[in-house]
Amino acid sequence: MSTIHLRLNGVDREIECEPGDNLLRVLRREGLTSVRFGSETGETGAAGVLLDGHLVSCDVLLAVKADGHDITTVESIDVARGELHPVQEALVETGAIQSGYSAGAMVLAAIALLEREPNPSEAQIRDAFSGILDRESGYVKTVEAVKRAAAVLRGEKPDPFLPLVVRPLTSAAGAVDTGVEDHVPAPETVPDAVPRIVPSPDVAATAVVGKSEPKVEALSLVKGKPVFTDDVELRGLLHAKVLRSPHAHARILAIDDSEARALPGVHAVVHHGNTPRVKYASGGQSAPNPYPWDQVSFDDRVRHVGDRVAAVAADTDAVAEEACRRIKVTYEVLPAVFDAAESKKPGAPVIHDEEDSLGIVDTTTNVSSHVEGSTTDDMEAALKAADRVFEGTFRLQRVAHCAIEPHVVVGWLDPDERLVIRTSTQVPFHVRRMIAPLVGLPVKQVRVVKPRIGGGFGAKQEMLIEDIVGHLVLATRHPVRLELTRDEEFEGSRIRHSQTLQFRSGVTTDGKLRALDLSVTSDTGAYGVHGFTVSSVTGLRALSSYNCPAKRFNCDVVYTNGLVAGAMRGYGAPQGVFALESHLEDVARALGLDPVEFRRKNWLHLGDRLDIAPRLGERGAVNDIAPEDLPQVASCGIEECVAQGLRAIGWERRDDPEWKRPHDRPEIRRGLGLALCVMGSGIPGVDMGGASIKINDDGSFNLLIGATDLGTGADTVVAQVAAEVLGVPLEDVIVYEADTDFTPFDVGAYASGTTYISGMAAKKAATVVAKRIAERAAAILGLDSPELVALHDRQAWAPDGRSVSLGEIAMRSLHLEEQEQIMGVASHLATESPSPFAAQLAEVEVDVETGQVTVSKFVTAVDCGVAVNPLTASGQVEGAVLMGLGYALTEEVVLDAHGKVGNPRLGPYWIYRSDDAPSMEVFLVQTMEPSGPFGAKAIGEIGVVGVAPAVRNAILGATGVALYETPFTPERVWRALRQADAAEPVAETSHNAPAATVS
Amino acid sequence: MVQVSSYERPKNLDEALAALEVAGTVPMGGGTRLAALPGSGRVRVVDLQAAGLGGIQRRHEGKILIGATTTLDDLANSHDVPAAVREAARRERPSGLRTLSTVGGCVATAEVESELLATFLVFRASVRIASSSGASVVPLGDLLADPARRAGEVITHVEIETGGYATAARVGRTPSDTPIVAAVARRDPGGNVLVAFAGVATAPVLAESTEELVPPDDFRGSSVYRKSLAEILGQRVREAVK
Repeated sequence: MSTIHLRLNGVDREIECEPGDNLLRVLRREGLTSVRFGSETGETGAAGVLLDGHLVSCDVLLAVKADGHDITTVESIDVARGELHPVQEALVETGAIQSGYSAGAMVLAAIALLEREPNPSEAQIRDAFSGILDRESGYVKTVEAVKRAAAVLRGEKPDPFLPLVVRPLTSAAGAVDTGVEDHVPAPETVPDAVPRIVPSPDVAATAVVGKSEPKVEALSLVKGKPVFTDDVELRGLLHAKVLRSPHAHARILAIDDSEARALPGVHAVVHHGNTPRVKYASGGQSAPNPYPWDQVSFDDRVRHVGDRVAAVAADTDAVAEEACRRIKVTYEVLPAVFDAAESKKPGAPVIHDEEDSLGIVDTTTNVSSHVEGSTTDDMEAALKAADRVFEGTFRLQRVAHCAIEPHVVVGWLDPDERLVIRTSTQVPFHVRRMIAPLVGLPVKQVRVVKPRIGGGFGAKQEMLIEDIVGHLVLATRHPVRLELTRDEEFEGSRIRHSQTLQFRSGVTTDGKLRALDLSVTSDTGAYGVHGFTVSSVTGLRALSSYNCPAKRFNCDVVYTNGLVAGAMRGYGAPQGVFALESHLEDVARALGLDPVEFRRKNWLHLGDRLDIAPRLGERGAVNDIAPEDLPQVASCGIEECVAQGLRAIGWERRDDPEWKRPHDRPEIRRGLGLALCVMGSGIPGVDMGGASIKINDDGSFNLLIGATDLGTGADTVVAQVAAEVLGVPLEDVIVYEADTDFTPFDVGAYASGTTYISGMAAKKAATVVAKRIAERAAAILGLDSPELVALHDRQAWAPDGRSVSLGEIAMRSLHLEEQEQIMGVASHLATESPSPFAAQLAEVEVDVETGQVTVSKFVTAVDCGVAVNPLTASGQVEGAVLMGLGYALTEEVVLDAHGKVGNPRLGPYWIYRSDDAPSMEVFLVQTMEPSGPFGAKAIGEIGVVGVAPAVRNAILGATGVALYETPFTPERVWRALRQADAAEPVAETSHNAPAATVS
Repeated sequence: MVQVSSYERPKNLDEALAALEVAGTVPMGGGTRLAALPGSGRVRVVDLQAAGLGGIQRRHEGKILIGATTTLDDLANSHDVPAAVREAARRERPSGLRTLSTVGGCVATAEVESELLATFLVFRASVRIASSSGASVVPLGDLLADPARRAGEVITHVEIETGGYATAARVGRTPSDTPIVAAVARRDPGGNVLVAFAGVATAPVLAESTEELVPPDDFRGSSVYRKSLAEILGQRVREAVK
């Protein structure tokens, strides 16, 4: 033990620590929970503090090395109760804070920069934030926040940060006067961070909905309060570690845990020998979980490198790690297969030959599940009848979610000896239901609490490690904490499905689609998890953007000994839409058609039917459906999205040789690319959320929702909906979310459903409350009917202008007259899944000598119905775009020949940094969705879906070279360019598929 | 992950050298690579932050002496060093690590894709090394070519030339990615052109031509591709300093 002397947040301190402790661990032990774990190697910056005024990642800083230095954490930037430092204020008002997991570091980075440089350039700001990875934002709002804070600190008063209202461009949206003058500033002159709103005359005026409200939890985030899963202190807490398989495929012949158990400080070792064998599927989905159920907590078989073997609870992480090393496992190593196509072939290793798994389609060919759906009985005839038939094959890679907060769970027994699981999850209610049988408890003996979450992106739509903690808590009766390392996040979590997609299309010579036939092989890795539903969505999204009389989808979801695939933002759509939008671009070129006009001939319009949707449903195909019962497009802004996108990206330059080949850089080719996306809003007939609202003495309200805000702004958006109904400002609605003991049920955060479904639940519950308020107000005001009462500005109003405050109504109802708790509870089941639409456009520069692709600008115009909060909505899109750029250009989880991840760190894997990110604009094209709360649809995922095809099509526009495999790394582009140029043959064969063929 | 079993912070170089005589002891600059070290053994660390090895000094004949514990952030903000060195130091690590990582640590870890080391090479960097048997000066290129560090030695300074004109070019997956290949060229005041590469050998190298290079092969770039990049980028930076 050493004693170090720190000047910590202005106070001289002596602190005991071990020589190997990093400063992150020491500061957290001191209760400074704003300093958070992101990785062991410092790239995330979540552990950012100031050391002598400089930003440092203290997860890689030995605490003893900080001895004698001045350390500042964001806890010291606490001006007064309820007040914020100008930097904190600016980060909140611009929407730069999403999950806020790294908010402390962001505040400190800005303060350190502004002390050195009071008027920083954008490049300086981006550089200052290069050490803080943000998987949630597009960084444009961060840049704007620092500029605004700088102005405030210089004594200036920046204008309020408001959306820019943009004049509609199409007759569909612009025929009626929307009140937007022609002289509004041109969008290109306004900072990227400002959301562009394209208004619609169909949308009624509202007081709270449609406003860029700051997030309801913003203060707690920017002040670094202990609001995340790991920010709790529990006496007697044990630390868990998981022993993972070094082999891609092996039978466990024996486990000897005696040495591990004998190690002082070890409290429990669990493995297949001492835990019950209960089959489950780990995907966080409504009951019954889709098949296959092919997992158990601990198996006597391992099926991928990183698969669970055993887990230990011990006094410290170090002891738990040492105990894992001392568990002796005898493996019989089995042959392994890592390629889905190989895995289906006769003679391939069989990955699931156990007899107790349920619902595997064909164990002998490793087909985990199979999905098919069709709108035609005879696809071949439909293709034959078309003028032209095209084919294209597309391959998409494995990518990782890379939420900066890893999976982390803290579990304990409460005083009644019920199991409490505090977990970073998207699906708390599903976790409660799913963990109960695994640990042998009834559901009523389990409580799941979801604190604030540092990003999920689908990786937390899983019951991933909660059962391990449950087993260890029950075995030790101590509190137990398990946090995955960054390596484990890559090897032991979930990834996006790698897929190979083959499109065949039949088209008329004038560009009308007659047949779309998509066959897919999807690699689910070692377990089935979300394989069936993700693949369904691949088909649904690849075949729903355009009208076409004959559509067919066919997919094998195949086991391999690769990493386990699961849910990831877009949920199969990025793969399907990449194939679709790339294929259509090739078809347009082959037909000599303008790619926009080709799409326009076929895209969906108001009133069109989504004919493939029921045939690729979450719960299997519904084929006997009458045409008039097919889901119908009830709001559609695609025309306006495309028009705004084309204008913003400068589409007219597309064929301008002067622009395409800059004179001063002969190696550069420029290009523009477009992709369209159509998504959904929740899962119809399945997704349900509840809300409960009660009034308080002062006319404020508590809103309890089961919905799960991962940093997206969902709490704020749902509260805005309630506030709108109740006639109060957002600050009068106090949100509490997702605690299975206290809040109503909600399926959780996935399928872009929270605004649409939980928002509607809140609207219904608020309507119940509003009705009762109106009844009491009518009595007080002497009105004949409560229907005459209007609620706004914290008052209940009579038609003649008299009013009574909600505070007075609350006081009377709680204390004075006919006492009652005014409250409302409601739930909402989605019966529809209205489509948000988007046009995504990329501007790229391709270095044709090296293959390097640089995205210089990216535009997304999205119809999400009414944007309940333009700030959080645009933030969702910006973050999704950046994630999409990673998918397109940098990210791939690479497996070596033995199935081990070759790049399990954020450095080599590389997600976009602030100083990588391009200029980006987001247009929110307003439409009125009749089934949504105040006209809202969904926005959480759509922004990621069209990025890769837009970039691909831009590269095609720049170079004439079509790519069929992601990511477009410099080498892959270089090889494709060389292949296209016969004069320079490539030394090695390319993995790229052949170009679209014309038959 | 390696476990740190003891920590010392010597007050001068002699103390540091004495501390390093104990087997299993490693000198530490910023220590940011400690967590990434392979293995799970125990190491004793000698932190050089107080050993008087910091600072940037102008020397005779336009040379600059950079102390080993100078952070990359200090280097990136120093107006005493050439602009190309400042920029390479800034690019080397992101903001929250650049403030910890040291010049000595960068030389000692000799990363394949270090653009800063390639930049040092074109400024004819030499490395001053101290050991209990005395001090020595080794050209950086020689040190990088022989990666085996001898126990008990401490990198104390890096000395570079100044003057002339230097420029760099690189290819990565994104603008700020660790370069797959980087090329740096400098025309010195005498008109001689030096070209160095990162990402094309086991460590950054000075190379008159790319013919002899045998680049590494990994998921970011095959050997064939890296060699092609070296030719293209080498040509570009040569042209730029003409």
